[in-house]
Amino acid sequence: MNRSYYWLVLGLSIPAFLWLVPTLWMVSLSFQPNEVLARTTSSTLFGLIPIPFTAENYAALFTFGQTPWWFLNSLIVSVGMTLGVLAVSTTAGYALARLNFRGKVPITIICLVGLMVPEQAVFIPLYTMFADFGWHNSYHALILPRMAVPIGVFLMMQFFRGIPRDIEEAARLDGVGWLRIFWYVMLPLARPAMMTLAILTFLYAWNDYLWPLVSAQQREYFTITLGLASIQSNFAQSEGLGRVMASGVIASLPVVILFLIFQRYVVQAMTAGGSKG
Amino acid sequence: MQNPRKPASRLSQTQAAWILLAPFLFTYGLFLIYPFFRGFWISLHDWNLLAVAFNPDAKQFVGLRNYERVMWGRNIEWGPLAAPFWQLLGIAGLAVSVLLRGTKRLSRFNAIALGVASVLVIILPGFHPGEEGRWYDRRFWPTVANTIVFVGLAVPGVTISALLLAAALNRETRAMGALRTLFFLSQVLSVTVVTLIWQIMFSPRQGLIANITETFGGTPINWLTDEQFAMAAIVIATIWWSLGIAMILFLAGLQDISKDIYEAAALDNAKGARAFWYVTLPNLKRTVTLVVVLQIILHFQVFGQSHLMTQGGPNDTTQVLVRYIYQTGFRDSELGRASAMAVFLFVIMGTFSVIQFIVGREKT
Repeated sequence: MNRSYYWLVLGLSIPAFLWLVPTLWMVSLSFQPNEVLARTTSSTLFGLIPIPFTAENYAALFTFGQTPWWFLNSLIVSVGMTLGVLAVSTTAGYALARLNFRGKVPITIICLVGLMVPEQAVFIPLYTMFADFGWHNSYHALILPRMAVPIGVFLMMQFFRGIPRDIEEAARLDGVGWLRIFWYVMLPLARPAMMTLAILTFLYAWNDYLWPLVSAQQREYFTITLGLASIQSNFAQSEGLGRVMASGVIASLPVVILFLIFQRYVVQAMTAGGSKG
Repeated sequence: MQNPRKPASRLSQTQAAWILLAPFLFTYGLFLIYPFFRGFWISLHDWNLLAVAFNPDAKQFVGLRNYERVMWGRNIEWGPLAAPFWQLLGIAGLAVSVLLRGTKRLSRFNAIALGVASVLVIILPGFHPGEEGRWYDRRFWPTVANTIVFVGLAVPGVTISALLLAAALNRETRAMGALRTLFFLSQVLSVTVVTLIWQIMFSPRQGLIANITETFGGTPINWLTDEQFAMAAIVIATIWWSLGIAMILFLAGLQDISKDIYEAAALDNAKGARAFWYVTLPNLKRTVTLVVVLQIILHFQVFGQSHLMTQGGPNDTTQVLVRYIYQTGFRDSELGRASAMAVFLFVIMGTFSVIQFIVGREKT
């Protein structure tokens, strides 16, 4: 490594630090007392260092308010959605990638067309449908619509296409049926792709805002993303800035931890998803 | 497929395929295909959310009237110089596309794309209400224009900064890896966390930006309530939020450029910025197009930033299409009109999805 490399790293550290500042500030404010924040948000080094320090905001979150409940809702919805999407995507992806049957090409095309339909184009009809079923304000109302999005099917289909045929054929020669091949041979091989899809779906579920906003009107069914939106507009009066910021930190914790542990998969997942979807 | 010996199980391949496909096709049909067509159907009705909820027969078929009420007006005229700036820009764009195509400096696909876009820029801004005329919905087209402005600022902002960062970070060392992680981190946050952070960052009384400005003797700006700055504020928050994906896509693209080209260029004395301009950029063309199209699709759906940071204000300057659809449908209960707008949104996004599909398939 030459000197210009070190200059480059040093030069990039400045924008990188600036990039981190907003997040740091949120974390720092969440550790400062509300009485101080009501007066000033720049106590020590523009408020970037939490002095005076307190953990009271976090303690308060777990005693009053609905943040823990919303957090739990988000977990239930995100895990449920992830399992559901994995189930329908691996099966359909395998069938479209590996099995021969009449109508395969038209079905593949029909699924491909669905990639063009954004959530925003269907959320009104979905709302009326779920209202007719009386499904709003429930976990399944938050989970089900995402199970219809074909992106997972395509991720899995592409993956299964890349697996050599010999493995399947050997199993066929031994007289193993297609469903067993799928379950015992292909699924174990598909773990990396399933991991990517799981992370993509979990991130989407955790961060989705528009559909929970229209579907969950009762506060008991808010996800943390929605709950945070509901308390941020009047943060100063109602809850105190420190506590709202603590909620923000709690809301971000799972996805940030997921990102730091599974960075490679997260990057793959978000690249494959192409968007926040 | 060749089938060795006898069928191994009682299920034929076709049966197995349908069993495996059934769960997905069921949810897909019920929660995507059906709602999609139902959306069209709702858009053809006068459909009040509350009235229909109490009495399913309270809707009334009105044909295309919702589209007319949203997009059209009384005495709408078309003039060749109604919006001279945009129309001249369109003519210039058309000329450029014809010229560059004539000299073969533009691929056919790009030439057609630029040409079509230019023609639209010439035609669309030309419509305006004539004497005693007015738009039926005064807010719709300004809202579309705001959305386009937002996309027009956020997409180049994200693309250029992500491209520069990716070029700088394109080395496999620990330090570079850590820096990439830092720049990508904000991408995984939810829109409500992003708006929470930036609302307070921009606050004139409590905000970090205001605090720093004041320390240096400046007057804090009312970012979110000043018509001049509100759009800029949500664009800044958006760039901060969504730089990560673009950067990662560019890094992937950069990996595909062979080192030999750089070495050859270095012999010709092209290093640093020159190498970036003459070697990196031409080789990244396809990735750049892909990132731009992806970002257009992504940012056209902007909702949370506007809904939570500025509530569409001040004076509707940050009102965007999805927020208008949401409000029309769920605050004003006008599901029919909201659906007509959603169909409009779908047509635009669908067009860009098709472009994305074509670009993604194009091998260079």
